[in-house]
Amino acid sequence: MTNLSLADLAGYMRQLGEGALITLELFLTSFALAFIFGVLIGIATLSRSRVVQGIWRVYASIFMGVPSLLVIFLTFYGGSAMLGAVLGEFGARIDISPFGAGVIAFTVVYAAYIAELVRGAIENLPKGQFEGARALAIPPAIMWGKVILPQVMRLALPGLVNVWSFMLKETPLVSLAGLQDLVAAAKIAAGATKEPFIFFVATALVFIAFSALSFRLASRLETRLDRGQRREAAGRSSSRAAA
Amino acid sequence: MTMHAPAPDAAKEPGRLAITISGLVKHYGSHRALNGIDLEVRRGERIVICGPSGSGKSTLIRCINALERHDGGSIVVNGIELTADEGTVQDIRQEVGMVFQHFNLFPHLTAIENCMLAPQLNRGLTKARAEKLAMHYLERVHLADHARKYPSRLSGGQQQRVAIARALCMEPRILLFDEPTSALDPEMVNEVLGVMEELAASGVTMLCVTHEMGFARRVADRCVFMDHGEIVESRDAASFFQAPESQRLRDFLAQILR
Amino acid sequence: MNGLPIDLALAWESLPALFDGLKVTAILTALPLLLGLALAFPICFARMSDRRWLALLAEAFVTFFRGAPLLILLYLVYYGLGQIEALREGPFWILFGSPFGCAIVALSLNHAAYMVEVLRGGLLAVPHGIVEASEALGITRRNIFIWVKMPLAIRYGLKAYQNEVVSFIKGTAIVSVVTITDLTAVANSIFEQTYDPFTPILCAAAFYWAFVNIIRLGFGLWGRWLNRHNAEDVAADAGVPGRGAALRRTSDLGQVTP
Repeated sequence: MTNLSLADLAGYMRQLGEGALITLELFLTSFALAFIFGVLIGIATLSRSRVVQGIWRVYASIFMGVPSLLVIFLTFYGGSAMLGAVLGEFGARIDISPFGAGVIAFTVVYAAYIAELVRGAIENLPKGQFEGARALAIPPAIMWGKVILPQVMRLALPGLVNVWSFMLKETPLVSLAGLQDLVAAAKIAAGATKEPFIFFVATALVFIAFSALSFRLASRLETRLDRGQRREAAGRSSSRAAA
Repeated sequence: MTMHAPAPDAAKEPGRLAITISGLVKHYGSHRALNGIDLEVRRGERIVICGPSGSGKSTLIRCINALERHDGGSIVVNGIELTADEGTVQDIRQEVGMVFQHFNLFPHLTAIENCMLAPQLNRGLTKARAEKLAMHYLERVHLADHARKYPSRLSGGQQQRVAIARALCMEPRILLFDEPTSALDPEMVNEVLGVMEELAASGVTMLCVTHEMGFARRVADRCVFMDHGEIVESRDAASFFQAPESQRLRDFLAQILR
Repeated sequence: MNGLPIDLALAWESLPALFDGLKVTAILTALPLLLGLALAFPICFARMSDRRWLALLAEAFVTFFRGAPLLILLYLVYYGLGQIEALREGPFWILFGSPFGCAIVALSLNHAAYMVEVLRGGLLAVPHGIVEASEALGITRRNIFIWVKMPLAIRYGLKAYQNEVVSFIKGTAIVSVVTITDLTAVANSIFEQTYDPFTPILCAAAFYWAFVNIIRLGFGLWGRWLNRHNAEDVAADAGVPGRGAALRRTSDLGQVTP
């Protein structure tokens, strides 16, 4: 640390901390919404209806094929106009904040990925699960809530962890729409102190540490969800090895 | 040919020995997989090795081509002592072909390409010559018609025969078989044994780990019985089956022949 | 505003500029894909090395360049490296002194880190028995790698590779922050001139979509060609769009990456 006084450093640290909180808030809000919508969409797309399938294909293809940054810009710049078109005069007066644009964009994009995971997991469930629940005359709501979804989550967990860490790494994009997040704070501090190297490396390490922490939690969660499944899993992997 | 284990006069004529193993030891951690093995194999000799699972028979033949590195004793193959040296290992592997329980064919190559790969890479054969060579050996295992097929399109017995042809294409003087029929459906065992019997008649040195006692009786010059990492009995096929000396071998034969 | 948010006249006018932007995006994709891949091989070998310090070093590289958001990497290279005196004086300043060079460096390092894991996954998936069979044939380690391990690793890792390339292309959209006029930057500048929030961004999005899907299509064809030895599986898979690779279907779930 060459020309940084302690007081300056403390000031920048505070700004970085505030930025980090905003990043975290953005990330958790977006992930929670993407998760809820993703699961709902995933279940909805099990419908055989051609219309539903068609809409799903188009939606998934578009948002999996376009950079998130463009979706953020589109919601940020075009959001009020879109709201205006839907809600009329009232909607047009709502200004979309960078934070709001980020949440909307990430929700729309990542709900597609999560829906895809959920679809895949449901398809991979043994058919007997549905039949068994039906044979026992379990009401559909309970069947989904208590029987199907917990297993779906277990199957989808590795993919969800992937999406989680990928989304985390995309959150800095919202700073390009003007959000004062961790990366924006780091950029300001880097410019003001002429110490970009330190600040950017430190910021990168914050992201890496957060991901490492969440990976650890995820693997703990995985072992918990896997309880009682180990024999089945072992059987499956050995049969794959033999094939 | 009635020969009891290590032929006493063979040692004086090293040129007639294909493999000399003495005092061979192999550990897996604290487990002793091979516990002082002595075995001499003459040129052209056909040996069947049998024994209960975990007796060390696979480990023994896998040591001969250095798929497993031995911890003690010595192995001499065609006059070359097997050391940790990469070049020596390579030299020995040129002389020794191996056929595995699970075939281990290259899934991304056709039958003929499976056979051509090693001759092209090791001996620098041109594609045309390697193809001719491969075709020759595929004919020998009666698979010329299937030369252009990928392994996934062949039955287990056919795959194993391709694996035999692949090993033959390196024109090895010694062939090792590691339970070549154990992974096969019963109806395919005979086509593979048939090919192996034809090979045996051609004079190549064979070491074969197998439980096919009929094959042993028909083909083997000598049968070796292993248990707990040791050679318990080693003698000519006829007396091996008719007059086993040790109780362990008698029990084993009783079990396997019912 | 009419029902359609797109101003067709503006879209038509913007086409040439957007195509220029796409060209820049394509170059910023192609170069790091090549450089990153070239870098990934030695790092992957280090990562899989028995020497602990080497493996740890490689792992640290992967953790950092995979874990750090691309935007921060770009800032780090663009603003951070200029701080280092030796670099500013050295011959590499041609590279680090230009935004384009910085973008290439940051993108390549990021891609390399991802590719180390893709490669490693593919190599680890190669069945051990097949490698052993190649060793038994006396094929050298180098040749085994080139002719057996890599061809199979590519097949096992193709799906992961496709996912990485696709998300990489989308990731390049950030290079406009260091004043490179890629596709996103062109759309942004048209927006700033016209204040039309839809037309330029939607047009750019369409370009990205087309680019990404052409790449997907290419991978699909490549995968089908590589898997011709499993013709049955490929035919069965063709009915399930977006699920190309026949190998390792069960692990697809874990591999859906943005």
